[in-house]
Amino acid sequence: MKRCDMALGYLLSIFLILGAGHAQINIDSNEQFHEELVIRPLAGDHVNTYFQFTTRWHYGENESLFHTQLTPRVIAELLQQFDVKELHIGLTQGLWRYETWGYPVVETTGGAEMWAWFNGPNLTDQEVNRQWTQLANVFSGVLCASLNFVDQTNSIAPKYLLRPQFMSGGGDENQSKFIRYSSLPREIVCTENLTPWKKLLPCGSASGFASLLNSAYVHNTKFHSLGLTVRTLCEHPENCVLELTQTANLVYDLRLLEQSTGDFSLRRLFGMGLNGYCELAGSSQIYVQLNEQGQRYQLVPEPTKEIKTTRGGHTVIYGVYDMQKQFEGQGERLFNIAWVTPKGDRKQRLGGGQHQFLIPPPLNVHRYLLGQGQERGRIATELTNNHYEPLPILLQELIPWYVHAYLHTLRIRSRNLQRHEYTNSKKDLPFQVLHYAPGKQRELPTHLEIAFELPPNSAALITIEVDYLLLKWLEYPPDANHGHYIGSAILSTLLPIARNYTAIPIDGHLFEHSFNATRPSYVLSLHTEALIVSLPTPDFSMPYNVICLACTVVALAFGPIHSVATKLIIVERQSAAPKNFLKKIIFKLTKRKSNSQQQQQQTEEDKAIGGTETDIDPTDQRES
Amino acid sequence: MDAKSFKLLLLGGAVRLYFSRTPLASLIGDRVEFATPLNSYKRMQEGVFLLEHDIDPYSGDLVHESPLVLKGLSWIFLNYASYLPLLYILLDLLTAGLLWIMSHWFVKHKLQEQRLERKHYANDTEELQYHNEDNYDIPELVLMAYLFNPLTIMSCIGLTSTVFSNIFLALFFFALVKGYLLPCLILLAFESVRSFYPIVLISPLLLVFARRSYWRGFCIGLLFAAACIAIMAANYLVMNSWNFLDGTLGFIFYFRDLQPNIGLFWYFFTEMFEHFRAMFLITFQLNATVLYLVPLSIKLRKEPLLLATVLVALMSVFRAYPSLGDVGFYLALMPMWKRCWKYMAHGFVVFAFFLISLSMMGALWHLWIYAGSANANFYFGATLAFCTGQIFLITDLLFAQVKRQFCLYNGQKIMIDGEEARIILE
Repeated sequence: MKRCDMALGYLLSIFLILGAGHAQINIDSNEQFHEELVIRPLAGDHVNTYFQFTTRWHYGENESLFHTQLTPRVIAELLQQFDVKELHIGLTQGLWRYETWGYPVVETTGGAEMWAWFNGPNLTDQEVNRQWTQLANVFSGVLCASLNFVDQTNSIAPKYLLRPQFMSGGGDENQSKFIRYSSLPREIVCTENLTPWKKLLPCGSASGFASLLNSAYVHNTKFHSLGLTVRTLCEHPENCVLELTQTANLVYDLRLLEQSTGDFSLRRLFGMGLNGYCELAGSSQIYVQLNEQGQRYQLVPEPTKEIKTTRGGHTVIYGVYDMQKQFEGQGERLFNIAWVTPKGDRKQRLGGGQHQFLIPPPLNVHRYLLGQGQERGRIATELTNNHYEPLPILLQELIPWYVHAYLHTLRIRSRNLQRHEYTNSKKDLPFQVLHYAPGKQRELPTHLEIAFELPPNSAALITIEVDYLLLKWLEYPPDANHGHYIGSAILSTLLPIARNYTAIPIDGHLFEHSFNATRPSYVLSLHTEALIVSLPTPDFSMPYNVICLACTVVALAFGPIHSVATKLIIVERQSAAPKNFLKKIIFKLTKRKSNSQQQQQQTEEDKAIGGTETDIDPTDQRES
Repeated sequence: MDAKSFKLLLLGGAVRLYFSRTPLASLIGDRVEFATPLNSYKRMQEGVFLLEHDIDPYSGDLVHESPLVLKGLSWIFLNYASYLPLLYILLDLLTAGLLWIMSHWFVKHKLQEQRLERKHYANDTEELQYHNEDNYDIPELVLMAYLFNPLTIMSCIGLTSTVFSNIFLALFFFALVKGYLLPCLILLAFESVRSFYPIVLISPLLLVFARRSYWRGFCIGLLFAAACIAIMAANYLVMNSWNFLDGTLGFIFYFRDLQPNIGLFWYFFTEMFEHFRAMFLITFQLNATVLYLVPLSIKLRKEPLLLATVLVALMSVFRAYPSLGDVGFYLALMPMWKRCWKYMAHGFVVFAFFLISLSMMGALWHLWIYAGSANANFYFGATLAFCTGQIFLITDLLFAQVKRQFCLYNGQKIMIDGEEARIILE
């Protein structure tokens, strides 16, 4: 127990240590640009291609922030207008399969996701909220995404999970830092996002690796994710580096390519070969994974260099193509790399046999919805730890306001991987850290962060009960019965080993910085699937009818009570009213006309029997 | 209370205990007809849980119970959660007992009043007057109507906090009949701060305690306001923030949660055009509170208890989050007006309305939410019919009372020229 507490504390504090420590600031020229492409064959006939474009801009004192060469102007203006120190935006379509594909280099969730750190003198919570919505609007325009829907109703301030990766530098360390996080799981990522995203690059899509990103091919993939990360690293306020990282992470299903044989090449993946490198780039490298799933291919042409990297006891061999050398002193041509299965292996591959035994990553996660009907349900998140050591887990849930979550129903049940049944309630895993901000309809989402220890070789099932709300009829999206989305949960842990782990360390900025980057532990963050819940829907066609009917029922009470309170009791001749139904109606109608006449008659009758017309309460008369 | 009443109480307790141990209990606890956002057990649990973890329950949208109740119950919720049904049953039995004593005293008062008035009564009105045997008959009917009404039983086993509302209201009625001014005021203030609508009961209270003196009425009004403020201050001391006001009273008034219930609000405000929302909200809240208050207070100034009954009934029809437990409570008060029953013309209609709409509700809810083969209109129709039935019952009672008063003094058979006459309202 003590050890896991320590591990947890370590998890919480590690980012702070890293953030304060290692960032390297040694820049020769003011601005640098690097392009990298990583191609990794994955299990099950999939190929992961990861593009990373890194722009670093060292802006010192007395330098105009509007004068940039490689950095897009809009990013430079960020620093002028907002107190943003770190910004992450991800636009993703598809689901990353952790079990078979391992962990991706950058983590994103389906739809749009955005988070930012704010830090500056005299910042208040309201000011941050204002800047946050403005920032979302700016990038809504820059990326043509619906980020303008980011507002207070779907933003939270994560407390533990997301740690700062920027350095504010100087004496303002004790300034409070603010964070905002939001996700729009319904956002559909499409061509219109790719084109403006490419425009942020120094070479645009004219040359360099970005020329490979053609929308027709990118959007045919099983998974594609565009990312944009900005962070500032300051030693002191006058000596800063602005780092802009643009990433494109794609997963191709080889079986879906035309004339699928299991072989592939750059041309087949992207529609064309590489036309060169971006002339503004400091380096243009292609890394191709040679071992593991890459073993089954032969590369044409062979890589110029091989790099063997050992990280956390896990060895990966990359073949490197330096584009600037490839295109040295030659005329125009297209560069292509082909992955070809050696002749002898082909039969075996087509027979469906797996080349290598698949080692699942140490931790993976799934989420699903339990229960039926449109009234209530349970959100279940299932974590599996294949490792032989316990793992500290931090989990963050952002539950939108149209779903009510009951915190007291939160349970973490565990089971050993050999068993299929979860333990009963008495053996629930206790959570060590709990941060909860309850949601409010139409105002705030529910924000939940928990931390607990996941025992070795076991699975944990986290469930929380939710109610689905009935909304106002105009609050439903156009296709109301499509359902409403609940964004994915984010999960963070510290892995002791780096199996399947490819993320770039926090103190580096290029993919090559992850080579041989052995650390005491590796921060891993995972996203679960997003959920879709179907809320009860009203009938959209009949607002008038409902208003009329409800008001009628109110009138049903108002009428009689009004007459009881205002009318007098009078006595009337029995024979005056006809017995026949039709005649009754006629009598009622004619009565109005001859009202005066009748009243006269009435008074005469009253006289005759000595005043039968009385107030209902004779005691009143006595009192008066 | 006599032995028979105790036996009935025991039997009522046994019935509740039996059903609270069946799966029916959790089913009822989840039904929208019984558990509204205001009174559901699940939300109470959530509130207690949040309080225990030092999270302000009212910063969210789940908890709308008053802080005093929440704090008072949290100890039991945390330590003796398995005995909770027992507590709710005991409170419900206490409510029944209080109603018995209250109606017993009510009949006693009525008999005294009649003795003074008898010489003004017409000759053939024996059956309209209270009799000596009513001293035990009526309390017993009240007791049975509370103990064995399926609505109150289910509301109790579903652990809805309507049980608390009911006992506070019963205590209020009891204090009203007995003439205890201060308990009456405090109970009413407490219940008003808790669920807003009972504030209308200030009118019968004034009619009882400030009959002929405006000065006295003014003082009682001031006292009531002071009691309300004191209870809010006590709530504030528990929470150390004023958030609870918006979480309880604000939540009721602004009708933020559109979860379906048996009332008129939910579908109306789901389908409401946004720019009319404020107007209709105010209209509907006025309708549930002050609209009928003044005319009925003037009309029924001689019968404060009938006024209280009718107001409680109207409240449970027109309030923002009504539940069937509220309906069960005012139905139990009906036997007190046993001598009006002769003139209640819609008994069968009301009974049919109740029976059919209540049984349709479950079916239509299932069709809408689970089977997906019906839509919200179906359920709305059932709730509309149920409200109509209740309104028929209330107006019927009012008409019957008016007629009874008239006939008590003028005889049941009025002859005009040797011919039997009709009594009508003009």
